[in-house]
Amino acid sequence: MIDPAKIDPYVEMFGLDLPPERLQEVLAAYGDILVEIRKLRTLDLTDVHPAIVFEPTAPYRKTP
Amino acid sequence: MNGELWKQSLEKLAPAIRAGKISPVAITEACLDRIEKVDGKLDSFIHVSRHALDTARTAEREIKAGKWRGALHGIPVGVKDNYLTRDMPTTAGSTAPNLSFPLRDSAAAARLRAAGAVLIGKTRTHEFAWGNVTPPVCNPWDLTRVPSGSSGGSGAAVAAGLCVAALGSDTGGSIRMPAAACGTVGLKATFGRVSRDGIVPHSWSLDHAGPLTRTVADTALMMQVLAGYDAVDPACQAQPVPDYARALGKPVAGLKIGVCRNHFFENLQEDVESAVEKAVADLAAAGAQVIELKIPLLEYGLGAIFAIELSSSTAYHDASLLAGRVPRYQPDVRTLVEMGRLVTGPDYLKAEQYRSALMEEYRKVFESVDVVIGPTTPITAWKRGEWTVQVAGKPESVLAASWRFTYPYNLTGLPAISVPCGFDRDGLPIGLQIAGRPFDESTVLRLAHAYERAHEWKDRWPQL
Repeated sequence: MIDPAKIDPYVEMFGLDLPPERLQEVLAAYGDILVEIRKLRTLDLTDVHPAIVFEPTAPYRKTP
Repeated sequence: MNGELWKQSLEKLAPAIRAGKISPVAITEACLDRIEKVDGKLDSFIHVSRHALDTARTAEREIKAGKWRGALHGIPVGVKDNYLTRDMPTTAGSTAPNLSFPLRDSAAAARLRAAGAVLIGKTRTHEFAWGNVTPPVCNPWDLTRVPSGSSGGSGAAVAAGLCVAALGSDTGGSIRMPAAACGTVGLKATFGRVSRDGIVPHSWSLDHAGPLTRTVADTALMMQVLAGYDAVDPACQAQPVPDYARALGKPVAGLKIGVCRNHFFENLQEDVESAVEKAVADLAAAGAQVIELKIPLLEYGLGAIFAIELSSSTAYHDASLLAGRVPRYQPDVRTLVEMGRLVTGPDYLKAEQYRSALMEEYRKVFESVDVVIGPTTPITAWKRGEWTVQVAGKPESVLAASWRFTYPYNLTGLPAISVPCGFDRDGLPIGLQIAGRPFDESTVLRLAHAYERAHEWKDRWPQL
């Protein structure tokens, strides 16, 4: 579980401008997802390039 | 051609229409009549086209004049309500105020129109294609149950014979899940195979386009029109498009079928497991070589897809967040859009690194097999309003359970189809998922067609 009291200073940084009760609801719902994201963080993928490729020629693509 | 017209497959209708034995007007009228008669129960269409009959009359004139455009000419097709259309409004399933979408054709709608299809109406989507329930649509096999989602309107409409085929979109399983729940075929083509131009974005790198149909052959015919390069979609690839129909009718003997025993066979309903195991055994008996395998990395997939999907969706809805529109979204979608702010940049990129690693794992798997098969979903259609289901004796949220087996193929972008493989003890359809190598939809279709031909599931219809 995420403690809303601990997260208060970060809320503005997140850009999540919600009333306290609503923030608690969102944090509670996020709790289960955060468990999965934390599991993902345990993987060592240092040498793996993300599946995102910047393509500077993209604006020049044309349908043949 | 005998029987009700609305029950006819695209594969059978196309030559009959070409030969002048069936009129596009007659099949369009049959579908419109069917919508009139049963969609009050299903609520699968949000909009029925005023132009459908005019388009059908034009098709009829063209065909009589010898200008047959192909298999979709004069065929009524439903369009998911997150695809832009020039003559029908798009809502993306949202009733939030001050939202509007342009009246122009998405690339897929344009391709269908150019092929002569009759765009009969817009099928309902879960709001912004986010969820798996698609309210208020009912499942035609049991009106007290959901059609799944987010292409639930397309699934219900095709299953009930309200249109011959329909478009869906798939970010974590949204074509294949309703296909499984409603007893239709649903294909998520390879990422980059079908243009997403003009589909209201949900998550740019996970969104896929594809058809829902009643048979595999019909999916092949739809794909022949939908597939192809489009420079407007940054993900689209200029890969050659094969003749998909040529893949059909071939035996399964000689195909190597991978069965991934971890992840895809964990925590599923007993009837689903039995049906899929029977399908695997049937394919083996037909001469396919079944190879059991494991992909341990799948254990980390849920965090990855959540990180990407949540942050992408929130980025797309950022202007609406700032404008205060998001509280007017449906409660489940509102929560998901708001919580996307909590995903950090490093988490997002870690998820994208994970995708690369998972794609590499699948590449290795496809060195020894031609396809990977398993259940499409661990559960059959659940009751409307039910948020938790019993899976393998334990309660699980439907949000978590429903997409467990489909999202790996959104992360990897691989082509994946759902084809009916039986019914559970309550008479609800079960889906078999077949995934293949990138841009190898042909092998996926080949196996799905061979399985379909050897069984009679497609001949069953819901009683409405």
